[in-house]
Amino acid sequence: MATDETKLITTRRGLLFGAGVAGSALAAGLTSAHSVQKQGEQVADAPVSDKTQERQSFYGPHQAGIVTPRPAAGMIASFHVLAQTPDDVERLFRTLSGRIAFLMQGGTPPELDDKLPPADSGLLGPVVPPDNLTITVSLGSSFFDQRDWLAPYKPLRLSRMKAFRNDALDADLCHGDLALQISSNTPDTNIHALRDILKNLPDLMVLRWKQEGSVPVLPPKPDGTHESARNFLGFRDGSANPDATDAPLMDKIVWVAEESDEPDWARGGTYQAVRIIRNFVERWDRTPLGEQERIIGRKKPTGAPYGGHTEHDVPDYSKDPDGAITPLDAHIRLANPRTKQSDSNLILRRPFNYSNGVSKSGQLEQGLLFICYQADLEKGFIAVQKRLDGEPLEEYIKPIGGGFFFTPPGPRDEADFVGRTLLEAAGHAVTRLKS
Amino acid sequence: MKLTTALSASLFAVTAAMIPRAAMADVSPLDLVGPIADYKIYVSENLEVLVTDTKAFTDAVKAGDLEKAKSLFGSTRMSYEAIEPIAELFSDLDGSIDSRADDHEKAEKDPEFTGFHRIEYGLFAENSTKDLAPFADKLMADVTELNKRITDLTLPPEKVVGGAAALMEEVAATKISGEEDRYSHTDLWDFKANFDGSRKIFELVRPLVEKDDSAFVIKVSGNFDKVDKTLAKYKTEQGYELYDKLTDDDRAVLAAAVNTLAEDLSTLRGKLGLN
Repeated sequence: MATDETKLITTRRGLLFGAGVAGSALAAGLTSAHSVQKQGEQVADAPVSDKTQERQSFYGPHQAGIVTPRPAAGMIASFHVLAQTPDDVERLFRTLSGRIAFLMQGGTPPELDDKLPPADSGLLGPVVPPDNLTITVSLGSSFFDQRDWLAPYKPLRLSRMKAFRNDALDADLCHGDLALQISSNTPDTNIHALRDILKNLPDLMVLRWKQEGSVPVLPPKPDGTHESARNFLGFRDGSANPDATDAPLMDKIVWVAEESDEPDWARGGTYQAVRIIRNFVERWDRTPLGEQERIIGRKKPTGAPYGGHTEHDVPDYSKDPDGAITPLDAHIRLANPRTKQSDSNLILRRPFNYSNGVSKSGQLEQGLLFICYQADLEKGFIAVQKRLDGEPLEEYIKPIGGGFFFTPPGPRDEADFVGRTLLEAAGHAVTRLKS
Repeated sequence: MKLTTALSASLFAVTAAMIPRAAMADVSPLDLVGPIADYKIYVSENLEVLVTDTKAFTDAVKAGDLEKAKSLFGSTRMSYEAIEPIAELFSDLDGSIDSRADDHEKAEKDPEFTGFHRIEYGLFAENSTKDLAPFADKLMADVTELNKRITDLTLPPEKVVGGAAALMEEVAATKISGEEDRYSHTDLWDFKANFDGSRKIFELVRPLVEKDDSAFVIKVSGNFDKVDKTLAKYKTEQGYELYDKLTDDDRAVLAAAVNTLAEDLSTLRGKLGLN
């Protein structure tokens, strides 16, 4: 492992390293930059990444994968939970935490007799790389409702997602007792993690649905700045996201606070809203650019709001009460009107784009795997979505699935596990493992 | 969330301990002779029942007795489903006896689509015995042939022992959805037979595993019991309720039991030293 350790790089340094390589390729000549073939490279060689040793910590007051910068590949997997008794729920939480700890850390799975099925699928090779993996565990309303001993401890604002005006929810893509948000640098790492968890918890949970997604990867910018990724409508998504590196701000917007009226066990947790939002991309692509921009409220190439130059410029709607500059029903204006009152509706978005195949009508089944986090689900996503009900964008989008979940606080250390605070609150004596 | 370089040795210890290292039982090939011989008897008994039941079923179809044919469909299949890992050794017969419409390019209209499910389609989807006589004759001939071939067959131990898990894999992959008996919805009859067939194999080799790995035996038995208990809720005088009566919760219970049995029984061959 020593060599792996020395290879460990942070995201920022990785980006700079990447910039160096790309920079020299550019220096070698712009015209050839797109057709570099290194000597000896074979057709079926694995693509190479210098990021496979990137590693996130599973431990802390909050779970990983929430304020963690969004990597290129994400997935939501929703489960029916079989565990009913306190002992079985503890086994579920412990086993899940054990698998997540191993997968996020990376390492060598145990070697078994070759007459037995192997302990690991092996799809990432004999040594599992961390690859920037995070797995975030969240609990649905039904997890509490269907267990009498847990029902009194349900977070106050956790509800079963109800259809909004424009929704056409598919029962097979909705809700769940437990959801895992799995994200990492590559889809293969996410799939490996999901298969590991399925293999290790077959008697405790059954997979109900999953949706994978991706984020377009950009070349590093010379000045080190970052820009928001684009969704499948071609617009930047996340420009107005609150600053996830601002801990006091996250305490306000994302994390259930000490002084909150939520149950004590939930402190440090957050509400997760998941929405599978199909985009009618063919129709969108046949819509005039000006109309697309008016519907969203931003210029498409830069992502800047009307009257601004960059995506991070803040529109001043107080000087535009009649919508002369930004239409009153533009997506970004309805989502975040930037008034004093709407300040309490801020959410942290962490979405991925998804593409699934072809509809019966021969159109592309693709859209947004919308994921957001907030300390108050009702003031957060639900309030924002209610403001969006009836927006012009609805002609081009159709929410078809998802669910509401509560993400418990993170495990403090290796002796801890996700969900412990809930079990203890419910009066179940949990023995601490020695680390 | 900061990236961390901390590499914990204890973490690996905990994780590794969570994966049960199979205790390899000290089993010699001779120990398997008894269980395999017993299983051969079980297969023969089931085949005998299959031939008798198929005769009654196909006679009803040919006689145009729609209601009788319908009522015999679920029970007739059970002796086939119980010994499916062995019946499937002959892929030509398995195809003609038990393939489904979606195994064929032209689905229900495909001339290659024959056997139980083609007759099921006629009886339950078209609600008629019309034009089913040739399929009935073909099914009877195939079942008779299957009986003959298996009678002459020496059962390969790894196929027998592996059959316990194979039955669970079948249920997990293509039955738990209710797609097997999609016209008649008699899937619970099939489930019962698949589970019984799997459990029979497990029980036959159980003494060979028990002394070295009693935890394994207890866990597997517990899951078979859970399945029995769940299926028992749907027992009727004639057999089982239709598949759409199965609640989502019970379906999840069955799915979890099937997945767990599939995981655990996948180690059975190895535990008995078979490749």
